[in-house]
Amino acid sequence: MTTKLIRIRNCADVAAHICENLDYKLNSRKCREIKKHIARCANCTAYLDSMKKTVKLYHLVPNPRVPSSARAKLYKVLKLAK
Amino acid sequence: MKGLELHNGEEMKLIRLAQKGDKRAFTRLVKKYEDVVFRFSVKVCRDGEKAEEAFQDTFVNVFKKLKQFDGKSKFTTWLYKIVANNCLMKRRRSKLDQASVPLETPEGFREEPLRDSDGRVIQTVPSWKSTPLDRVMNAELRRILDKAIEKLPPEYRAVFVLRDVEEQSAEETAKILSLSVPAVKSRLHRARAFLREQLHPYMKA
Ligand SMILES: [Zn+2]
Repeated sequence: MTTKLIRIRNCADVAAHICENLDYKLNSRKCREIKKHIARCANCTAYLDSMKKTVKLYHLVPNPRVPSSARAKLYKVLKLAK
Repeated sequence: MKGLELHNGEEMKLIRLAQKGDKRAFTRLVKKYEDVVFRFSVKVCRDGEKAEEAFQDTFVNVFKKLKQFDGKSKFTTWLYKIVANNCLMKRRRSKLDQASVPLETPEGFREEPLRDSDGRVIQTVPSWKSTPLDRVMNAELRRILDKAIEKLPPEYRAVFVLRDVEEQSAEETAKILSLSVPAVKSRLHRARAFLREQLHPYMKA
């Protein structure tokens, strides 16, 4: 990935880039600037926290399993052994 | 698709056998991926009946087109692409789905934060509850989550599900949905921000 020079000037810039990588594991210059801003800004801290929680809440929704009727129909159509 | 690495030798061997018409190998592939395909169908199609239809159609397509899989992309990328086509294809031309998600400014958000006389930032964006999320989750929140994702246009929903639920990279997501990487990033941003706004009244402390 090429390092682009992106100026992080204010909260709007942080909000625009906050989503690319919610964990900021990447040690790019942009991420370091974002981290620096967030560490000093209560609003961006609250915003980032709520974004992370949004994603985590979706992870808590149980995954659907294939209904046995749908599986039976598929195996029949494709003539597969169970 | 954690724990289901595909470019290992065993996986490819299975695909090669299935491509040559080995029914048992094909059955093992179906068994391995039926939950993945169904889960993604439900999350993107939403409607139960359509999801079951997409599930059936996907494996029929896989059966017919498996010979065309050349192993240059990940098998999962190829598979997700087929599911996405089955869920989104019929809708892609509809004008409704071209509508983008409004990116509303979060409550209390300012480009430049307010500061006190000592220059410290005054918090205007409300924090969310600090209660552990599994304890916050209840039937009401489940309903709010469900309604929020329902409101997203399907193509935004597909980006959100692939990136944040299925944990596919931006590059794989772009290949699956035939979008550019910047388009994936901007849709993901909008989808997450939209979902956050929908949850905010319930989640703010
Ligand atoms: Zn800020």
